[in-house]
Amino acid sequence: MTGTGRFPHLFRPMRLGPITLANRIVFGAHPTGYAEDGLPTERHAAYYAARARGGAGLIIAEEQSVHPSDRPRERTIRGFDPAVVARHRKVTEAVHREGVPILAQINHNGGQSTSLYSRRPLWAPSPVADPAFREVPKALERQEISEIIDGYGLVAGHCVEGGFDGVELQCAHSSIVRAFLSPATNRRGDRYGGSPANRTRLLSEIISEVRRRIGPDLVLGVRLCCDELVDGGTTLEDAIAVARVLEASGKVDYVGASIGVSTAAPHLDGASMHIPPGYALFVANALRRAVDLPVIGAGRFKDPVQADRALADGHCDLVDVVRGQIADPDFAAKARAGAPEAVRVCLSCNQDCVGRVRANRRLGCVENPRVGREFLPALSSRRAGRDVLVAGAGPAGLQTALAAARAGHRVRVYEAERAAGGQVLLAASTPGRAEFGVLVRNQLTECRRLGVRVEYGRPVDAELVRREAPEVLVVATGARPRRPAWGRGRERVVDVRDVLSGRVRPSGSVLLVDEVGFHQATGTAELLADRGCVVEVVTSAMVVGQDLATTLDLENWCVRATAKGIGETCDHEVVRVGECARTGRLEVELAYLPTGETSGRTVDWVVCALPQAPLDGLYRALRRHPSVQTLRVGDCVAPRRVDMAVIEGERIGTSL
Amino acid sequence: MQLLSPLRLACGVTSPNRLVFGPHVTNLGHGRALSERHTAYYRRRACGGSGIIVTETASVHDSDWPYERAPLAARCAPGWAAIARACHDEGGLALAGLGHTGLQGTDAYGRTALWAPSDVADPLSREVPREMDTPEIAEIVAAFANAARLAVRSGMDGVEVDAGGRALIRQFLSAVTNLRADGYGGAQRTRFAREVLGAVRRAVGRGAVVGLRLCCDEPGTPGGITPETAPAIAAELAAAGAVDYVVVVRGSLRAPDVSRPDGHVPPGFNDAAARRVRAALPSSVAVCAQGSIVDPRHAEELLTEGPAALVEMTRAQIADARLGAKLAAGTPERVRPCVLCNQACQVRDPRNPPVSCIGDPYSGHESHPPVVPAPVDDPVEVLVIGAGPAGLETARNAAKAGHRVRVVEQRERTGGMLRVLAAGAGLGRLALLADWLTAECERLGVRIETGVRAGAADIDARLATGGVVVLCAGGRMGEPGYPIEEGAVVHDVAELLSLPEEELRRRLPAGPATVHDPFGGVSGVSVAETLAALGHEVTLVTPDHLVGARIATPDDRARALARLARARVGVVKRCAVRGAAEGVLRIEHVHTGETGEVKGGFVVECGFRLPDDGLWRGERLGMDRAGDVVAPRGVYEAILEGRRAAAGIEEMYR
Ligand SMILES: Cc1cc2nc3c(=O)[nH]c(=O)nc-3n(C[C@H](O)[C@H](O)[C@H](O)COP(=O)(O)O)c2cc1C
Ligand SMILES: Cc1cc2nc3c(=O)[nH]c(=O)nc-3n(C[C@H](O)[C@H](O)[C@H](O)COP(=O)(O)O)c2cc1C
Ligand code: SF4
Ligand code: SF4
Repeated sequence: MTGTGRFPHLFRPMRLGPITLANRIVFGAHPTGYAEDGLPTERHAAYYAARARGGAGLIIAEEQSVHPSDRPRERTIRGFDPAVVARHRKVTEAVHREGVPILAQINHNGGQSTSLYSRRPLWAPSPVADPAFREVPKALERQEISEIIDGYGLVAGHCVEGGFDGVELQCAHSSIVRAFLSPATNRRGDRYGGSPANRTRLLSEIISEVRRRIGPDLVLGVRLCCDELVDGGTTLEDAIAVARVLEASGKVDYVGASIGVSTAAPHLDGASMHIPPGYALFVANALRRAVDLPVIGAGRFKDPVQADRALADGHCDLVDVVRGQIADPDFAAKARAGAPEAVRVCLSCNQDCVGRVRANRRLGCVENPRVGREFLPALSSRRAGRDVLVAGAGPAGLQTALAAARAGHRVRVYEAERAAGGQVLLAASTPGRAEFGVLVRNQLTECRRLGVRVEYGRPVDAELVRREAPEVLVVATGARPRRPAWGRGRERVVDVRDVLSGRVRPSGSVLLVDEVGFHQATGTAELLADRGCVVEVVTSAMVVGQDLATTLDLENWCVRATAKGIGETCDHEVVRVGECARTGRLEVELAYLPTGETSGRTVDWVVCALPQAPLDGLYRALRRHPSVQTLRVGDCVAPRRVDMAVIEGERIGTSL
Repeated sequence: MQLLSPLRLACGVTSPNRLVFGPHVTNLGHGRALSERHTAYYRRRACGGSGIIVTETASVHDSDWPYERAPLAARCAPGWAAIARACHDEGGLALAGLGHTGLQGTDAYGRTALWAPSDVADPLSREVPREMDTPEIAEIVAAFANAARLAVRSGMDGVEVDAGGRALIRQFLSAVTNLRADGYGGAQRTRFAREVLGAVRRAVGRGAVVGLRLCCDEPGTPGGITPETAPAIAAELAAAGAVDYVVVVRGSLRAPDVSRPDGHVPPGFNDAAARRVRAALPSSVAVCAQGSIVDPRHAEELLTEGPAALVEMTRAQIADARLGAKLAAGTPERVRPCVLCNQACQVRDPRNPPVSCIGDPYSGHESHPPVVPAPVDDPVEVLVIGAGPAGLETARNAAKAGHRVRVVEQRERTGGMLRVLAAGAGLGRLALLADWLTAECERLGVRIETGVRAGAADIDARLATGGVVVLCAGGRMGEPGYPIEEGAVVHDVAELLSLPEEELRRRLPAGPATVHDPFGGVSGVSVAETLAALGHEVTLVTPDHLVGARIATPDDRARALARLARARVGVVKRCAVRGAAEGVLRIEHVHTGETGEVKGGFVVECGFRLPDDGLWRGERLGMDRAGDVVAPRGVYEAILEGRRAAAGIEEMYR
């Protein structure tokens, strides 16, 4: 059955104001960090074109600033700069060549911004500091409100000249319009504050100005924050009232339904795997019931089945699939072809998309090393048909294998264990992290399609290499836990991997030592707490799981840790571990780093998440082999994370 | 002054004086190349009297990409050439900073594994590097030599090789990070450094300067380099590279930026280590002192009585680019002080802020025309309301342009929030900037009237006679954002810190106190320390996951935490305040919503402030505002806007 048959809702064309969409899959606006000197680039064009080619029904290009007072990120696009027009044309032409319409998102972030780059005061309805940026903004004067409205008009004009099919006003997540709409941030006493009608005035004036600029033949959409989830903020009811105003204006073609304020609860706009899919659909549903405008629903749509169901159930008219199409640009095409299982499903890990962009880096994807490199010619191998043996079927090994197979080599993967995935399987076995394991499933699917042979229970050693005599050996044997000096000789001082692999089964009270700062310790802590252990996590860092903040997982970890009674102790280092002669329990001495004061814990087990050691024996033994070219990838080079395993696998696999 | 006397280095090159502008992260680059912004930045310092400029450390090899704009030697030739020309035009020397950050880099940009002597993880970033093999060691040695050759061919007078707190070379020297069993580890830990320095010297020849930035203390990492072991290393390395000078610095895996701490660490922390190194080196090798040297008297002492032949005054020259010139003119009191706040010059931050200074926001922006008023023929009467940093900076610049300026301040002292903050524990140095601004205004003939409250009538009178008014009235306490019940005592942090100590003691009831700091900067920590010093039992409440989230560097933050711990200040993290009642503060966990209480007889509120803009009556000809009265932010913004207001006077008047 084709996708249109299997996903009848997803692939039903629809009218969006003056234009027609081939299907309901939207690649919504998101910052990429691909701009240079404030202008869109070739990188943007190729990035969007790849999703258009892959079957998206509508592309919405990343936010552009409407006014110089707003530069929240170093690489914010200066929509007000006339130089954007020529760059826009490159982007829109590339997308139109694939027969797909593209809109431009325009915005002013107001107080949800920084003066770091603009060196000007932030502008906002009232002098209320944003909870994340923490800069008190300047309350807009009447004249400045006009300047902003003019800015929207000017930028909309640039978008028209640049060939866009319309404009989306970002009035959700992070926006001055959102701030005007919300009683929490709008404390004005003039015509722009106070009553709902007054708070909506700026939006209405912007809409009139933008519609005037773009004329009747282009799309105008509004992305609304339908529930701010902050004290005294916009509620669903308020948002519905605004949507009704939009509808009544007759100037708006669709609304996007979002929840949360991105600087108060960022984990609600880039929800990670710990937040259930469809978490924001209730607002889309409510809007759709209230107005006749088409509604875009957003938030963790990962696979076509789920997306189709949201449409079938009447929650929304269109679905925003952002990370889903970052991970697999051909998401829509694969669904349409009736092969949704071939989709490289997004993990909702947030590591290289949200995480990198928030750190002012270019957007990437742990699963898809081509993200942001679509404008570069695909690397072509100089010598196809080489005989390649990959040792290890973790993410690095599998990525090497599939990249090499794609480049035309004959590839086999030997894995010592009985299953592929290595540490990823362990990682995916912790509570709420199963989706992380989809990485391996995706890689195996691709290997199968490319004819890579994967054999299990086959450790590779020098003898095997001699026997099989491949032309290339790629060592992807991963890493092993490092035993801390203070744990020597103590059987109940173990590694998280021992726990997750089932080698040991701690019970009673457990002290988890987090010296990695990512999911390793927190995931294992949850698993053990779920099994009834009394768990405390200790770290020398200032925060347990310090890097969870980058993937927007720190907030929800706090919530779960509290619910599960997991204790957190920061700024402490383990000094030594002794054993009580009488009870056999472990006596742990901790030092408080700021003062050096020590304290003790008596526990049944100590479980460590420490930096690992590379398992590079095979590589070291064979790297100077006279006839087998020996290379290495992933954790066996240096134990890091899957993004590096995949990047190195791709790099080595394509360049053999 | 010894500081201003020339110094002939062993290689034969002569520095016009002893004042060094050390290498530091600027984010001024264009991609990984040095840019015109760099040239303008360094030229301004060379012109202002810096004898030796050492450019931002360039990575010698592309295995190193520690921050996005980190210069890469292979791309620096045009930039070095331009900078060398600029410095030579101004009579100074230019040296190229060369380095490799090894395991203290990041894979975020290069997207390859980090290189290091051993696979020891960085305890801060937690990244695990990979151990370099022998050919790779040789590759890096050659890369240092190639980079040095390129620098000198581009016109630089020599190089400074980085073996400091973030350097691969230090990682080889230190037993903490070098666990190798081959000929580069154990007793041979100095070999890599020797090879690098030898190769660099051969590459640049005898006549060019080779400096060595050497870590002589690794705090917080037991087993590392200490001031006791460093002198021998210094001697060995100096010999290996026929080194002209050694900069004595400190730094470690746990505290990479401890060589440039904030003002809580009293200057002089490195003097003893420098003395030991001096004693171990032949007299032909100069010692360069480094580390929070911001006072010319301290510098002079190090040169005349101490170990140094050169002094690195980096932040001091970010704060005042004309430091050397002002000393040469015999006007040391005119040097704008660096207050060691680390607020605008500490830019190792993924957001890539350009280097600047709270006292001189033009720093780092030298490639743009300066925002200062041009001298005028027809001076105007200017009334500045408020003598905080914004008001004083407005007045100073307006007076410089020739206007007749009067400043009125309702408090008894000038300096505004600078003075208030400076009253908090550990922040006393901020007062130096207030003093300087006041003294400069006085020197320029500004009339400052304190204890005078301006009103609408003053504004009208000034405007009516064709004058200009700049409102710099600052901010006031904001609405706390939670209900304050009967009997609860909530103090504004600024108001408390404005009181003399005896008055403060009298005002505050004995017993426990709570500090609510929704901002996370230095001031919340400081006021908590102040109260603890007065004998209160203090609890600090923050919405963040950690204390002092906004403090400039992890090192400074760790020290703040240590001070709080020593002062027995309790910390409640991840909590917002929901209400104040008699003797208790009601709190709520920002993520779980759990509620609780903190005991305290009174609350000190450090929250966001509101503009004190009662006198502001809309945009009109002849009236402008600057600083917190626009929106309460920081000193940097206040000074920047003060300059802009002064520059706008002409326009306002017309
Ligand atoms: C890399 C990335 C960065 C994002 N940054 C923001 C942001 O700064 N502000 C915002 O409001 N939403 C942001 N979003 C959220 C998107 O606008 C969108 O709502 C969301 O990604 C859609 O859900 P999906 O990715 O689960 O399909 C971001 C999304 C991604 C993927
Ligand atoms: C318990 C556990 C949890 C982990 N969680 C993550 C994670 O969330 N994200 C990630 O990138 N790597 C995580 N890792 C590390 C990767 O699994 C590891 O870098 C990867 O498997 C290396 O690939 P290779 O074995 O093919 O070289 C985790 C490891 C363990 C043991
Ligand atoms: S990095 Fe993770 S969350 Fe982001 S698109 Fe890729 S798989 Fe999805
Ligand atoms: S920002 Fe602060 S520390 Fe930096 S140079 Fe200026 S005064 Fe000194």
